[in-house]
Amino acid sequence: MPASRALRISRRALLRGSGVALGLPWLEAMALGNDRSDPPSPVRMAALYMPNGAYPATWTPATAGRNFELTPSLEPLADVRQQVTVLSNLWNEQAKDGDGHYVKESSILTCARIKKTQGADLRNGVSFDQVAAKARGHLTPLPSLELGVTPVAVGNDAVVGYTRVYGSHISWSTPTTPLARELNPRAVYERLFRAAHGSSVSETGLDSLLLDRVLQDAKRLRKGLGSADRARLDEYLASMRSLEKRVRWSDPTEHSNWKPLAKLDLRDAPVERPSSHSEHVRLMLDMIAVAFQSDTTRVATFMFGNAVSNVSFRFLDGVTSGHHDVSHHANEEQKLAEYKIINRWHVEQYAYLLHRLAGMPEGPSTVLDNSMILFASALSDGQKHDPHKLPVLIGGRGGGRIDSGQHLIYGEDHPLANLYMALLEAFGAPVERFADSSGPLRGMLAS
Amino acid sequence: MFASRLTCTAAGLCVLAAAGPLTAGAEDPYDRSSATLFLGNHCRTCHSGSTPAGGFHTDKLRSETSFVEHPDAWVALAARVSNHEMPPTGAPSPSLEERTAFVAWVEQTWRSQACAAELPLMPSPIRRLNRDEYSATVRDLFDIQIDVSEMFPVDGAGGEGFDNAAETLFLSPLLAEKYLATAKFVLDVAAKEFKSRTKIFVGRPGPNKTEVEAAREILAKFLPTAFRRPVDSAAIAPYVRLVQRARRRGLDFESAVFFGLRSALVSPDFLFHVRADASSPASRQYALASRLSYFLWGSQPDELLLDIAAAGKMDDPAVLDRLVPRMLRNDRALEFFSRFTEQWLRIRELEGTHGPDPELFPEYAADAELRGDILLQPVFFFREVFRENRSVLEFLDSDGTVLTQPLIAHLGLPLKKKQDGKNPNWMELPEGSGRGGLLGMPSISALASHPHRTSPVLRGVWILDSILGTPPPAPPPDVAELEEPGEGKTVKSIREQLSAHSSSPSCASCHQRIDPLGFALENYDVLGRWRDGDSGVPVDATGRLPDGTQLDGPASLKAALLERKHLFLRNLAKRLLGYALGRGLTASDTCAVESIVTQVERQEYSAWALLREVIRSEPFLHAAAPSLGPERQ
Repeated sequence: MPASRALRISRRALLRGSGVALGLPWLEAMALGNDRSDPPSPVRMAALYMPNGAYPATWTPATAGRNFELTPSLEPLADVRQQVTVLSNLWNEQAKDGDGHYVKESSILTCARIKKTQGADLRNGVSFDQVAAKARGHLTPLPSLELGVTPVAVGNDAVVGYTRVYGSHISWSTPTTPLARELNPRAVYERLFRAAHGSSVSETGLDSLLLDRVLQDAKRLRKGLGSADRARLDEYLASMRSLEKRVRWSDPTEHSNWKPLAKLDLRDAPVERPSSHSEHVRLMLDMIAVAFQSDTTRVATFMFGNAVSNVSFRFLDGVTSGHHDVSHHANEEQKLAEYKIINRWHVEQYAYLLHRLAGMPEGPSTVLDNSMILFASALSDGQKHDPHKLPVLIGGRGGGRIDSGQHLIYGEDHPLANLYMALLEAFGAPVERFADSSGPLRGMLAS
Repeated sequence: MFASRLTCTAAGLCVLAAAGPLTAGAEDPYDRSSATLFLGNHCRTCHSGSTPAGGFHTDKLRSETSFVEHPDAWVALAARVSNHEMPPTGAPSPSLEERTAFVAWVEQTWRSQACAAELPLMPSPIRRLNRDEYSATVRDLFDIQIDVSEMFPVDGAGGEGFDNAAETLFLSPLLAEKYLATAKFVLDVAAKEFKSRTKIFVGRPGPNKTEVEAAREILAKFLPTAFRRPVDSAAIAPYVRLVQRARRRGLDFESAVFFGLRSALVSPDFLFHVRADASSPASRQYALASRLSYFLWGSQPDELLLDIAAAGKMDDPAVLDRLVPRMLRNDRALEFFSRFTEQWLRIRELEGTHGPDPELFPEYAADAELRGDILLQPVFFFREVFRENRSVLEFLDSDGTVLTQPLIAHLGLPLKKKQDGKNPNWMELPEGSGRGGLLGMPSISALASHPHRTSPVLRGVWILDSILGTPPPAPPPDVAELEEPGEGKTVKSIREQLSAHSSSPSCASCHQRIDPLGFALENYDVLGRWRDGDSGVPVDATGRLPDGTQLDGPASLKAALLERKHLFLRNLAKRLLGYALGRGLTASDTCAVESIVTQVERQEYSAWALLREVIRSEPFLHAAAPSLGPERQ
């Protein structure tokens, strides 16, 4: 990493400094940065999704502004609260009808009305992370990273009439293409490594030959197809071309401006099969941290579980049953207590990621300063399947674009899509409109 | 209520599952004038005039011939009404009974009119191999005993609930990477296996043979097997060039060949199912061979199937009649038996987080052998029915079942030990054992229970969905689960708690169909063992179905289900057809399902008759026909 880059700081970061008097070296650093054409530290964006909602009474802080009191569910964020923005009263209008889970959870990042189907005419929208990946994914080896800890749920839910494919995916690259998630932490690391450092020259050359060949086959096959089938084959073509791009990227003989911001080492690759749910979640969050630190990708999504997840949380003291079961607490004391413990555990994992990113220096700031880590559920109280007043948090300052450390309360039923508009703007991929947005969320971006 | 339930297929077609007269009382038959009244009351206000809402005008449904002229409009309408999407929220809503009766009438009329008019079938969509098919295919292609399915993400389910449905087999950059990596892994394994190498290296460069000639021989043998159809020399040539290029990059001959084969495994010609090419009638034969092979073996066609295709006899009924039993006896058929059964009955869910609680049921959690036997019992039962051509009604009740020694002990059956007690055997059951059919199996008891206790609601819903094919509609989204007794509290009888269902009319309309079915199984605990009491309270397994049938225990339930064998057969036929086609059924498939059911009923519910009718059905044979070319779209 060039010295000038390591020291360079943005004017905005300076202005947002914590009030410490700035010495001469800092000013020099700024001047140096201004002289060089180095880009500022990249802004990264991740979305973490928690199934089954959160209990509002122990989630939502009572007052707005900077001095809000952390609620029991949010307490794990105490150390990083200056980096956290709590958003209240957002909702996803497109998810108000249909069933209690699939329409809500599948559209959490798309804000689209999903089509009720057991598969044949599947339809969602494009998720905002994929809008970001399309706009800026060409700048990194991987346009985006989709992670999870539980496999795609099997079967159709015949009772509500939706395929469980919906409840198993939050990232959609087109309205008809949900993106597969990687569940194996070791495989993620190896993938990041390959993407960042490439394979040997001989393998890269062979991969290029192979991809050339199969793309030819696909083009020939495509000629004989009708329009619906072409769409499917185009998924194949797009997927193979993304590989082609990656192969070219890692070819040392091809010129590329991108350099990893941190080195990856295969000896650091984590285990393949984590021993517990907690360890699995932590390792996947580590992978987001590593991917962001090295700048292998700037966009990531992570699912703590599928819609209606009934992962057993018996490993937590005081919890006796599965996640979905306790989310239907019927206001019974015991179940409610368990529900709150599970909510809090998710926030602890989120805090863990924020801490990790905060511990990764990047010039005068940290990776967390340059990130926007969304934490959201698609329901408020799981008991009611309610898409109003969603639990939504943002961690990090988005390279100084986010005025963090406050609790913002919006008017009743404020569109969630407005948040995504604002995040896309801060990410450097502004859109005129996202789904049912009415404008970028007010108050969150630094003016 | 059984008389007028309906289910909706993936494409939104709602199929009436009629077991008797259309309306419960049948005093007031539903006819066109009733339907016209419904349209007038609930649809016409918006869907009329010069700018009808959504461009949908009720006028086009007025004529007597509208079912033939606008079949899709009727299907879409019925689906939206049945899904409670129309009339929209805010407009006066018809009662559940009104909706049900209307949709039932649409369905019945649709069948009698549209089927008679022979609607065009939908072209078969292209679909990739799912991960199980991929794994079985490379296993057979290279003669290597490895399972690579775990190297891919799980495939979601679509269509009739199976993971081989075209509509939900997506491709993504992640999958593309997995294809690349897995192909390399598979070829690395094959390179070390004597059997695979012998299969691959049919030509070697030597004094009288150049490397190019040898490579061409190898690929000319390999590619048709890998692509499951003839491959002409023009299509082989680029792969030969690929091997040459790899050679020029410094690979030795063998490695270059393996690289060529590896590339073929990433080609869409390998990854997608074979389809017929409009310009070649022979290609339809190969598409059919693959379709049959992936249906009954979950893997590539063998040489015999390819020979039959080459002879143009893949749709010859006499050939199929001999071929199908032979395919079922092949070990490869286990792919079909297990993948179909596990998904039809939802047994896969038992392996996830919904299984019996390990702390409350250590006897299940700790005993891997018993657990395996419990999970496999329905698969081997299914195998027995289909290999031995038993009646498919044995799924509802049977005089024997598949047992192992651990299962016999688990169920406390008074049966003598067999020599090979570890292997699953079909055994005659003692009188009154209650273990006949699917409902006597511990796997079914467990998967339709909560992890910690039985649930009459889950079991009732499972029967309505998996057995009768008439799943109840979803509960209102804001309803709390009524039946949870709460940890630590005395179980104040689930029946008492569930009585709340009858206090509200909106709950009662469905739960009076659901709950009695589940209560009749209360004698089976979470692990399917017989019990006369639960926590000191005697089990009450009585109930009354909406049509008046009195239930008391599993035997009476099985008898009641046998009364509804038509529904069961239709459900099984639909699922088998959906699985065989690898897609969800649509309106135009309904007529085929009806005809399959009629034929199988005439042949005493024979399992082979069912398979034969599916394989000879129009959609199955058509599935391989060329789709509409782009010029016609």
